[in-house]
Amino acid sequence: MKARKVKGLDPDGPLDANLRRIVAVRVAELHSFGKAVLDPSDVEALHDMRIAAKRVRYVLELGEPVLGPDAGRGAKRARALQDVLGEIHDCDEGIPRVLALIDRLREEDVAAVRDSADPTASDLDPAALRRARNRRKYAGLESLVSYMRARRAVLYAEFLRTWAKFERAKLGARLDGTGR
Amino acid sequence: MARARPVPGFAESASFREAAIRTVEVRTEEVFEHRDNVLDISDIERVHDMRVATRRLRAAMEIFEPCFPKKQFRGLLREVKALADTLGARRDADVAIAAMDRVAAELPVADRAGVNHLLAELRAEQQQANEALAGLLGQIDSDRLHERLLALAAETGATAEVPA
Repeated sequence: MKARKVKGLDPDGPLDANLRRIVAVRVAELHSFGKAVLDPSDVEALHDMRIAAKRVRYVLELGEPVLGPDAGRGAKRARALQDVLGEIHDCDEGIPRVLALIDRLREEDVAAVRDSADPTASDLDPAALRRARNRRKYAGLESLVSYMRARRAVLYAEFLRTWAKFERAKLGARLDGTGR
Repeated sequence: MARARPVPGFAESASFREAAIRTVEVRTEEVFEHRDNVLDISDIERVHDMRVATRRLRAAMEIFEPCFPKKQFRGLLREVKALADTLGARRDADVAIAAMDRVAAELPVADRAGVNHLLAELRAEQQQANEALAGLLGQIDSDRLHERLLALAAETGATAEVPA
């Protein structure tokens, strides 16, 4: 996700004012995903919010000596958000990967079992199952998918709590100068 | 994970540009301090530390972008991003392997074959990512990225007359 441009930055101007301008844009950017992420299946919005949280975190970590303890606390909240969204992202990438592996192993087994038959065979003997060399792999992988789906649901609930805390902290108003 | 080193004089910087110069110098040094042993896959924290330092440098460069000469800055940022991405690919494989090891340990032995298959794929990806990282680190040395990043800060400072 491309970062929103911060207008009006002045390299020769004071550090504090420039940082507050960046914080205001980055926090607004983060909040812009607030509605979309309420849909747990909106993988793209969750991913974009993670990137936005990372940008908020880094500007606050960097600016803490100038912006004060609110920035430090805000950076910690943004990091918590980034971390849980990162774990959700790992599930969103991992689940399709494991499902694709199961499909690939199954295709290999189907081909091996089918190829064991005589080309003129009218049916396939169940003994051909022995040619399915991946047969011992499915149970563990199916269990892994179940675990990852369950973990994703747990993480999403944790994300909602973390996001609610972030919103309650009203970080933008505290740090962009408008709340002072 | 190593904490970011404080940037001396940051809060007292007379301008946004002065803070930019000080920050990019410190964050650049941090990246290259973590360079040793990153290719050792038996100690995955080394690559993690260098990745975190690279991400901090990249973030600082993006925050302070308007302070630097555009042409010189763009190329350097691209190189820092490439380093961050390559370190990230290695780190992703490291983390996935550690996670799958934990999953495999919880499964009955009879059910581990599939996860072990996945682990073998992930180890091959880790090896590939490590080879890509080795190649990029060699490139960075020959292209003198470290020196050029410090030069970016120094030249920007010389123009803006930043106090020492």
